[in-house]
Amino acid sequence: MALHRITVTINGEVELVDVPSHMTLLQMLREKLALTGTKNGCAAGECGACTVMLNGEPVNSCLVLAAECDGAEITTVEGLKKNGQLDPVQQGIMEAGGVQCGFCTPGVLISARALLDRNPTPSEADIKAALVGNLCRCTGYFRIIEGVKRAAKIQEAAKEEMTYGIG
Amino acid sequence: MALAEQTKIPNPIGESMPRIDVFEKVTGAAVYTDDIQFGPQLLYARVKRSPHPHALIKKIDVSKARALPGVKVVVTGDDFPGHIGLYLKDKHIFARDRVRFVGEPVAAVAAISEEIAEKALDLIEVEYEPLEPVLDPVYGASPEAPLVHPDLGEYEVVNFIFPKPGTNISNHFKIRKGDVEAAWPKCAAIVERTYHIPHVQHVPIEPHVAVAKVDETGEVTLWASSQSPFAQRNLIAKTLGISQSDMRVIAPYVGGGFGCKAGVTMEAIPVAIAQKAKGRPVKLRLTREEEFYTNFVRQGLVIKLKVGCDKDGNLLAMENTMYWDGGASTEYGVNITRAGGYSSTGPFDIPNVKTDSMCVYTNHPIGGAYRGFGMSELHAGIGQVMDELAEKIGMDKVEFLKRNVVQGGDILGTGMKMHPTGIKECIDKVAEALDWGKKAEPSAPNKLRGKGIAVMWKAPAMPPNAGSSAVIELNEDGTLTVNIGGQEIGQGTFTAMAQLAAGVMGVPMDWVRIAGPIDTQYSPYEWQTVASRLTWSMGNAVVAAARDARQQVLKVVAEAWDEDPDDLDIVNGTVVSYKSEREMSLKDIGIYGINKEGDTGWIGGPIVGRGNFMPTYVTGLDPETGQGNRAVVHYTTGAQGFEIEIDKDTGRLEIIRAASAFDVGKAINPDLVRAQIEGGFVQGMSSAIFEEMKLVGGEMKNPSFVDYRIATAADIPPEHKTFIVEVPQDDGPFGARGIGEHPMVPSIAALGNAIYDAISVRLDPPFTSEKIYLAMLDAGLVE
Amino acid sequence: MHNPRPGLPEFDYVRPASLSEASRFLAEHQGEARPFMGGTDTFVRMRDGFWKEKYIVDVKRLDGMGDITFDPSTGLTIGAAVNMNRVIDSPEVQEHYPLLAEAAKTVASFQLRSRATIVGNICNASPAGDTIGACIVMGGVLKVHGLDGEREVPLTGFFVGPGKTVLKPGDIVTAIRFPVLPQGHAGRYIKLGRNALSDLAIVGVTAFAYPDDTPSGYRFKLALASVAPVPLVPEKAEEILTGKPITDETIAEAAQAAMDACNPIDDVRGSARYRKYMVRNLTRRAVTDVLNRLQ
Repeated sequence: MALHRITVTINGEVELVDVPSHMTLLQMLREKLALTGTKNGCAAGECGACTVMLNGEPVNSCLVLAAECDGAEITTVEGLKKNGQLDPVQQGIMEAGGVQCGFCTPGVLISARALLDRNPTPSEADIKAALVGNLCRCTGYFRIIEGVKRAAKIQEAAKEEMTYGIG
Repeated sequence: MALAEQTKIPNPIGESMPRIDVFEKVTGAAVYTDDIQFGPQLLYARVKRSPHPHALIKKIDVSKARALPGVKVVVTGDDFPGHIGLYLKDKHIFARDRVRFVGEPVAAVAAISEEIAEKALDLIEVEYEPLEPVLDPVYGASPEAPLVHPDLGEYEVVNFIFPKPGTNISNHFKIRKGDVEAAWPKCAAIVERTYHIPHVQHVPIEPHVAVAKVDETGEVTLWASSQSPFAQRNLIAKTLGISQSDMRVIAPYVGGGFGCKAGVTMEAIPVAIAQKAKGRPVKLRLTREEEFYTNFVRQGLVIKLKVGCDKDGNLLAMENTMYWDGGASTEYGVNITRAGGYSSTGPFDIPNVKTDSMCVYTNHPIGGAYRGFGMSELHAGIGQVMDELAEKIGMDKVEFLKRNVVQGGDILGTGMKMHPTGIKECIDKVAEALDWGKKAEPSAPNKLRGKGIAVMWKAPAMPPNAGSSAVIELNEDGTLTVNIGGQEIGQGTFTAMAQLAAGVMGVPMDWVRIAGPIDTQYSPYEWQTVASRLTWSMGNAVVAAARDARQQVLKVVAEAWDEDPDDLDIVNGTVVSYKSEREMSLKDIGIYGINKEGDTGWIGGPIVGRGNFMPTYVTGLDPETGQGNRAVVHYTTGAQGFEIEIDKDTGRLEIIRAASAFDVGKAINPDLVRAQIEGGFVQGMSSAIFEEMKLVGGEMKNPSFVDYRIATAADIPPEHKTFIVEVPQDDGPFGARGIGEHPMVPSIAALGNAIYDAISVRLDPPFTSEKIYLAMLDAGLVE
Repeated sequence: MHNPRPGLPEFDYVRPASLSEASRFLAEHQGEARPFMGGTDTFVRMRDGFWKEKYIVDVKRLDGMGDITFDPSTGLTIGAAVNMNRVIDSPEVQEHYPLLAEAAKTVASFQLRSRATIVGNICNASPAGDTIGACIVMGGVLKVHGLDGEREVPLTGFFVGPGKTVLKPGDIVTAIRFPVLPQGHAGRYIKLGRNALSDLAIVGVTAFAYPDDTPSGYRFKLALASVAPVPLVPEKAEEILTGKPITDETIAEAAQAAMDACNPIDDVRGSARYRKYMVRNLTRRAVTDVLNRLQ
């Protein structure tokens, strides 16, 4: 069983980790780095609870080998908050009441963040399509979808504020 | 009672306050059981499981597994002779002598890694002698069926469950009210139908996980994703022959429960192993596949119904025979069949009732609590036969429902008198939202359109004396710490309890902290987080504790100010006197008391309010007639409706719009009530359209998300209107009753009725595209 | 009872420096080494215990594997490691091969498509593969690197059975190449799953056509998913649509021929009976949609 020493940037921090070949990215995050915000719901790429951003793209971290991630950049739910400010997707889903048990939430937030990165003004159909890989058993999705819409507005407003400046 | 004491409802009770746990949950900081770090001492458990639905265990050889380096503990049923169970002690932690379902634990291993534990499982040799399995509850109830539990007569059982030794029937609940035989000839229309409701799974996104540790003195600590830390403490301690106080259960946030983390499912396994692990913590985490194979399930039901009404559409009689597929153990399921029995009429006023609700052992997975506790299955049948009867007598379906639903003062099937309920208003709201009575044209030529509605009721199903308690402490900064034993499983109970405490005490919401995680060593007792009972039962305890703390504060201040406590109030965290207009912040009272004038001593001390609640008024029912004074505490009622289209080319069902209305007595937090209604609606819709455990020869053939499909974001309808009706409950805090389970109860029937409206065919759930298409084909609707 | 393990079984992760090295390694460790791209299928099957390879060979960073290129005179080449979302987003694919994007969009979820690849979909040879039909009807050809260097392998005859292809030990598919498509072409992929999106296909119908000098005025290509051990081309249905003037009756006849051509099984996703009817109805719908798009 080979060990691989890899360098990965996780939420902006450079980490040096020794990982066995068969360790998944999910296991590395949770077990090696104690970044337990990312959840394990099925280990088969179906539920989306383990979704993280790998080089800017959302992936099921249960289906990525840690060893493959040498040199990669990873964002987990713990990395969404920046400078003490919640990300618009966190803010939007929070305000819309899109959280119940919270177990799917980290994956949902990453998928939503990725959606707004590629499409800042998504339609309801876009949002639904972007979230089909994130199973939620509590909310019935209505408030998650509403939260992403709200996040898009929050992001838009923040951008305008940046563009036109205040003070 | 509670309501009478409070003339006006204080803020923030009744306000849509944000969840108090949401910040933790959106930042990834919320801790769930699997997130707790145990360090290098941790051992990983894996379980050897039965491949047979029914077999005798001839021999188990664990010697090779034990010899594998890295393996620390191997256990089998020989090590744990005790029985376990909530209502009927018919289960062992590991199978002994006989296995009764595919996936049943036979042995377990704990090793320094999951990989080694997995290898060790392959080295355990088990020799079986297969027996004929019982795979159908109707057959199982017959005298021909082999016995799944030959020792049924020897099991310990609570006094309201009636097993029949020498059969597979572990509970038989009966209602004999009026005379159904005499009523049938008086009926102008009669409908008879049998429905088969399949097994389904809860599918929390967080699989079951538990970690146990036994220290040098034998004290046990269990960390578990749990709806029932106290029940688990009680049941596991009893089984292992230890005292309840020598066992501690710590229950962090739960990543979805829906009933499957109630009672004891897999939590006893790591405890059993840990007893032999020399102080090392032992973790067992179910894979998603094990979650499907071995978790408690919503048991299957075969329901045979006969209902009749007079020419004006008044219900005259119902005969309801239910065969519940209880599975290999019915330790919890027996009470579901009891609940199905005493609620067997649905929310209808019927003078003549004959009910037989039978819990039948089979060699299927174990039936347990699932959101609705038997009601979804029961209502799937009742809601559709009522629809059919309305049509047969030629009456508008909404009119028929309104004519026959229960009202305050009605004498129910069990002899209990119904309390006031807003079910008619619920029906009206749903009917209006769907433009009931107006037939819309299909959106395309290859579509068929239909509408359906169904009503429901559900009572908290529990022992008659299930209790709650709460302790409220004041802190130096004036804030309250609310100690409770009920669990936050996503429903928002921590937020609702904080609102009740804040409102009653008179402090701002952000002055309230809920003490968590729930820990049986520190948290006050709570029976279980089930039955939609927390807002009501634990809410009563929290209100009582807050009143107690408030009275203590007022008494101390009154003494210090030499005033009458009745002239004082607590407003926004400050004690005020309406007489002297003096003020004092809670910060100056909560812990250190008040310095008497002239520094002549002190009054008061740390304020600790206590409250408890236990319903004292639920009575037993006659085992032969099901009659008694009060079968349950109360019923939450509601209605749900769908407008749908069916694609004639594929059978695909599309929901155009839907509406749900429930009478919650009083919404402590309307937004959270709506969130429960929405989530339950989608879970109900999902179960009705997609979900079925495909059990073949006792084995589940779709044990993964690949083939056990649940609703995704793309499957929800564009419109779902929710309505909150509030007819107050006399024994609830500020009139509140539960709402957690109810929203999914009417879904199968309401959708089934909408499908019937579109294609004139009645189907068993799930209403898959395939089932609908082939039904249309066989009915000649499509070629 | 099939009970997958909690995580992946132990294996060695290998990353060869070149295609030749990779081919050599795979051939030397025949039966115990496997190349992988996105891993969305590989890791699931390894966790399930169906695949027990000792070596998992990461070839996705090798030469050209990550490229997607279009040349107006020779066509489109999609490297084996290009994920489906990149294919869907590619302006060249959207303009010249929209059917491929349409089919790829129906695969699983967005996060799965961040890893899943078209070539992986083909190499897995699942009868349910959503993009395989599009690749077949548009004349896709695989570029394969083997022990003897590069060669091209057409998709016709590539699939031998569920999960089985004509690839040999040491073979690595490096890309799929599509010819320039005839003027005026149009395609449609209709997938019937249990859920609105994200499910595997109970039935998938790919239809593709372009104007041609035939009795119908078109050349039609069809492919069916999930109705036979391998992706199925209902040739008779294609002939009917090409050989007769297009009327509702012709379409119905072709749909019936497609239904008759397939030989599905009963499984947990659907019965053979339902699948056959769905092949007929969805072929009719897909062909009608293609005709609408042709006009």
